Amino acid sequence: MEIVTKLGFVLLGLVIILNWGLIMAGIIRKIIARASMRRGISITQPYINLFKNYSIRSQITHGVMFYLGPVFRLSGGVGIFLFMPLIFGSENWSNFSFAGDLVLIVYFMFFGMLGMALGAGEGGHPYSAIGISRGLAQFTAIELPLTLAIISIAIQYKTLSITEIVAAQQGGIQNWTLVTNPLATLAAMISFLGAMGHAPFNVVMAPQENPIGPPTEYHGTFLGVLQTNRAILHVIEAVLWMNLFFGGATNWIELILKSFFIYFWSVFVGMVFPRFRVDQSISWLLKLPTLIGILAIVIFLL
Amino acid sequence: MVNPIYIVVALLGSAFLSGLSKQHSSAAASWLAYGALLFSVVVSATWLGAFIFNGIPAAEIFTAGVNPPFSINLRMGLEEAFLTLAINLAGMAGLSYLSRDFSIWGQKATTIFLVLIMSVNVVVMTRDLFNLFVFSEVGSIAMVGLIFTRRDTDGYSAGFKYLIAVSVISALLLLGIGFVYYNTGSLNVDTILSQSSLVNGSLAVALFLVLISLVLELKVFPVNGWALDVYQTVNPGIGSVISGVVGTGSLYVLYKMLPLGGALWYEIVLIVGLVTFVGSNFVAISQKNVNRLLGYSSVAQAGLLMVALGAAPLVGQHFLLIAGGVFLSQFLAKSGLFWLAGMINSADTAGWAVLRQKPVLLVLFGFFVLALAGFPPFPSFFGKWQLVIDLAHNGQFAVIAALLIGSLFEAVYLFRWLGEAIKLPVAEGLTLQTPLSRLWPVLLFGILLPVGGYLFSRLTPGFDGFLMVSVAFALALMLLDYLPAWIKNSLTIAGLLLYASLVYPLIEGDLIRVVFAVIFVGGGLLTLIAGYSVKGKRMGFFPFAILMYAGLIGLIEAQNLLQFLFAWELMTLGSYILIIRGKKSMLHALNYMLFSLGGAYMIMMGISLSVFGTQGLDLALMGTSYWPVWSVALLALGFLTKTAALGLHIWLPGAHAEAESDVSPMVSGILLKAGAFGLVLLFLAIGGEANSQQPLLYALGWLGALTALGGNLMAAFQEDAKKLLAYSSVANLGYILFAFAFMTHIGWIAGFTYSINHFLFKTLLFLAIGGVVLRTGTHNMYEMGGLIKRVPWSFITVLIGIITLAGIPPLSGFSGKWLFYHAVIAKGWYFQGTMVFFAGTIAFLYCFKLIYSIFLGQEKDHLRKVKEVPVWYIVPQVLLVLAIMVFSYRPDLILVPLGHTLAAANYFPTDPITWNGLTASTTAGYWNASQIMMVIGVMFVILLGWLLFMSRKAQKVKQFNIVFAAERPFRPETTHYSYNMFRHYHRAVGFLVAPVATRFWNGVDAVMHDVAHSAKKIYSGNGQTYIVHLLAYVVIIYLLMF
Repeated sequence: MEIVTKLGFVLLGLVIILNWGLIMAGIIRKIIARASMRRGISITQPYINLFKNYSIRSQITHGVMFYLGPVFRLSGGVGIFLFMPLIFGSENWSNFSFAGDLVLIVYFMFFGMLGMALGAGEGGHPYSAIGISRGLAQFTAIELPLTLAIISIAIQYKTLSITEIVAAQQGGIQNWTLVTNPLATLAAMISFLGAMGHAPFNVVMAPQENPIGPPTEYHGTFLGVLQTNRAILHVIEAVLWMNLFFGGATNWIELILKSFFIYFWSVFVGMVFPRFRVDQSISWLLKLPTLIGILAIVIFLL
Repeated sequence: MVNPIYIVVALLGSAFLSGLSKQHSSAAASWLAYGALLFSVVVSATWLGAFIFNGIPAAEIFTAGVNPPFSINLRMGLEEAFLTLAINLAGMAGLSYLSRDFSIWGQKATTIFLVLIMSVNVVVMTRDLFNLFVFSEVGSIAMVGLIFTRRDTDGYSAGFKYLIAVSVISALLLLGIGFVYYNTGSLNVDTILSQSSLVNGSLAVALFLVLISLVLELKVFPVNGWALDVYQTVNPGIGSVISGVVGTGSLYVLYKMLPLGGALWYEIVLIVGLVTFVGSNFVAISQKNVNRLLGYSSVAQAGLLMVALGAAPLVGQHFLLIAGGVFLSQFLAKSGLFWLAGMINSADTAGWAVLRQKPVLLVLFGFFVLALAGFPPFPSFFGKWQLVIDLAHNGQFAVIAALLIGSLFEAVYLFRWLGEAIKLPVAEGLTLQTPLSRLWPVLLFGILLPVGGYLFSRLTPGFDGFLMVSVAFALALMLLDYLPAWIKNSLTIAGLLLYASLVYPLIEGDLIRVVFAVIFVGGGLLTLIAGYSVKGKRMGFFPFAILMYAGLIGLIEAQNLLQFLFAWELMTLGSYILIIRGKKSMLHALNYMLFSLGGAYMIMMGISLSVFGTQGLDLALMGTSYWPVWSVALLALGFLTKTAALGLHIWLPGAHAEAESDVSPMVSGILLKAGAFGLVLLFLAIGGEANSQQPLLYALGWLGALTALGGNLMAAFQEDAKKLLAYSSVANLGYILFAFAFMTHIGWIAGFTYSINHFLFKTLLFLAIGGVVLRTGTHNMYEMGGLIKRVPWSFITVLIGIITLAGIPPLSGFSGKWLFYHAVIAKGWYFQGTMVFFAGTIAFLYCFKLIYSIFLGQEKDHLRKVKEVPVWYIVPQVLLVLAIMVFSYRPDLILVPLGHTLAAANYFPTDPITWNGLTASTTAGYWNASQIMMVIGVMFVILLGWLLFMSRKAQKVKQFNIVFAAERPFRPETTHYSYNMFRHYHRAVGFLVAPVATRFWNGVDAVMHDVAHSAKKIYSGNGQTYIVHLLAYVVIIYLLMF
């Protein structure tokens, strides 16, 4: 019985996160359009896209891995969701976070990336492979400031358990990591820009020169799966940053608001800055953001 | 017992008769000569037997019926019996070997030869100084006669130089003898010795003259140009006589006379020997001419024996073991090498490739080289070991260091030479001349080497004869090498299992050893299974495979430092041969051998520091000395050459990449763990958690982190699949070093997890990629592509391998990552830790490149008919995948008991991990591998089912059915994005992979060769200069002494 309740809450949470992801994507696109003096699409467009893709009847496949790629990708997104505590203090909304701590989440992010890379690889399209090689290369550099920030907060809170990190930030904004450890937060927020794939770190998807990077060959249901994943992933990664740096959430409203603003940070920066080439973004990430991350640790060693 | 004087009689008599015989009775004369030599051999042998088995005292033989000092007396003791046996045996073999040449040169040559052998017999046995002088002269003149058998300018020139040099030396000797007689009134060695307290004023000078001439007789470096020219010029058969017979006599004379000089002379001989050993080996590095190289090597070995002589007062009762072991090896090996040189008739070492026409001779050549280099199971290993240990007990570390450096120089040319013989193409027109008269001496001496090794191993304190069983097994496999490969493979597997089952009871309960034993034995079995796919005989593979595995198991079994080093060297030897079997492996194998030996010598040095001030050889002594930092650092560096830490890694990529498909996993997944095991033993010996070496361990931690980063970066930029995996091994051993350097409980659990994981996934990946390489015939990933449909099994195993490698949950690689994170946080090594995690993300780059470039993307036309890899490759892969799955799902099965073992009081009592069911937690976090696996598994299956349902009507298309940017793909080659895949990454971080280490070692190599080459210029070839050298040397030594 207990397990059924648990599964019920997990599924419900997943539905909420997915829908919030789709709505948020619509809102963000509307905002981007307005900021560019365009009228923009309807905020229901992500739903329409998803519906359309799942309904397309003519589909092609390149082989087994072509199937498995999107499955891996979606498993990656859903998996992070499954291991992530959502609402602080609520046993029901903590998902399966008892199975592992922050280290599990950090490493599980690779699960989807790897599967996507392989699936796209079997598509045989050179642009897919180019996109993946860029994505992986850039990701190594994105991880570096994040790792430093994680180690910094692990020193600060003496734990790698997300629930306990959130617990330590309760009691007002003055206890948020944002305030108590601004350097780590800054480093991690720069990493977040990379993780979300907006400018200046969006050469991976490269809408102009490589029609559209890794998912090039994907269409129909396959693309639908990828879009589903993206909706989940954007929210859940924002939730991760929220848990680590912005005091977590004690209810759904708080979660929705905080995840929106965290995600919006990457959109905002993306609107303002042009795109890096991959080697430029790597070089940049390995300089200032890494230095900030190092400082975030050094202050604890002094 | 036959009076040894009859040796002289028989040899001299047959010499006279042979001189008198006419040309037509030459056959009878040569039989007579053989008879005389055989008689001498038998006499010496019966005496030796009597000394060893009956323990009779040394016999004094008085000539002319009068007691000394009025007559000449000979002595036949244990040493004399042994050496005359060696000399007469070498004489007999040498006569047979030279019989063809003698039949051309005429009967006189046989006469001279017999006189020479006779004179050396007397020189060994005599106790009379003047008699010694006379027979030395007889020997020298006979020698010159033999040199002159080469009737051309070179021969005359060399003979003349020899003559002058020997005359000068003899003049000094005679002068000395005269003064000795003047001072003591006796020429009898024993009488002079009995007059103690006589080393004063003029007698000291007299003894100086005697002894220095005996030293010069040994052709000490660098005043030996005259002798080297002779070596280079003469027939190698005669070269072997100079080195094996005359050299032996001269050495023994020095041994006999050295007590006259007292303690000071022992020191001088030790130093002179050391200079000779190091110097001669050093200049030999740039030598390519075989005969001259053999000359350098002979001189160097004589130097080594002089060191043993000089160390006699220090080593006490071990002297015979030390000198005997070194002597026997060099005597047999050097004679054998000279004889081989004569059969090959190539001035250049490169010509020795022709030996491959007769594999038996190649094997014997290997024996000779290994015996000279001091490898087990040959006698020199035991002799050198005991010498080093006894020197260490006396605190003679500088001497040990010099010895080890000299040995390394020696290895440079020996193994270059061996490698050339094994790998170089056979030069046009070269043939091997192997008449029976030349063959049997080589065979006999080759066989005597391991036999001698066995005897000396029995004499060496601390050695367990059980270890020799595996060597005997390998030798037996060598004899069975004509059988088909599958039979030998089965025998090897049976041998491995048998050995493991015998060793298991010894280590049962010691979980640390058991884990490594499982890696070594399990890995051995799996990789040998793959070997069943090889058709034919696969000669020269199995004896060395078993030797390597025996060495690995021997490490586990070793009860003391000697046994450990023995096993370490066996493993190095076996793996060297396995590595050099690869197509382009000559240079890589040489690199491997030199780095391994350099490492072994550092271990040796570390051991000698460790045993100082103790009497035992216990493994727990490692690193516990008066200079703990030095001994720990040396031992650690020694082990790190095997794990290929950054800077010491340059041998690895080539060696692993070029090896055969089933050898790569052996040397990469399994062999590297030997270094890790050594580190484990060392770190436990220095006290585990309670050690006092934090600064050093801190440095090692950084080294591990840098190795992880450097290895992974280099792997990401490879185009060769096996090189990529090899660099990845460098990095993974960096992780392991990093983890063990923590010296905390959780760090060690992480280290073991990494060791197990690396064994599993790297063996798996190398087997899988090796199988694909077998099918496609290329290592270059960009030449492959789209093979998923041709080799689906390999694809699946590679996929599992890279998921494990990358540490992605739910597979066992993640266990290592989780433990690492917590270990880093607990220890506070944040920046090193970050570097290691950064390195981990770089692993994704090459994991993707590996699997994508080979299995995904566009398939090339010429690979469309590739078949799945042989089933013998698939079977071990499946087993490894199962093992990964079990370890992923239930890591607690290993980690919990390991945690208990490591929590022992003298290891790491602070255990931060608590296991609650299947959940492991520390104060900082928690992880439940089984739950993670279940959650991910269920989710994955559901999502897959859903997608399959949604796209059930998808139409399958060929890989080429793509369109991009309004273009159609032109050819698979232009559509497969693989070559230089991470160019952008290289642009950003490529500066980190500048080949600094390679440049450094190339520089070392160039400098060594240049300096050695310049040093050789001292040998001008001018006889007069050589005489000046000799005299100057005498003056310098004199001035230094007085």
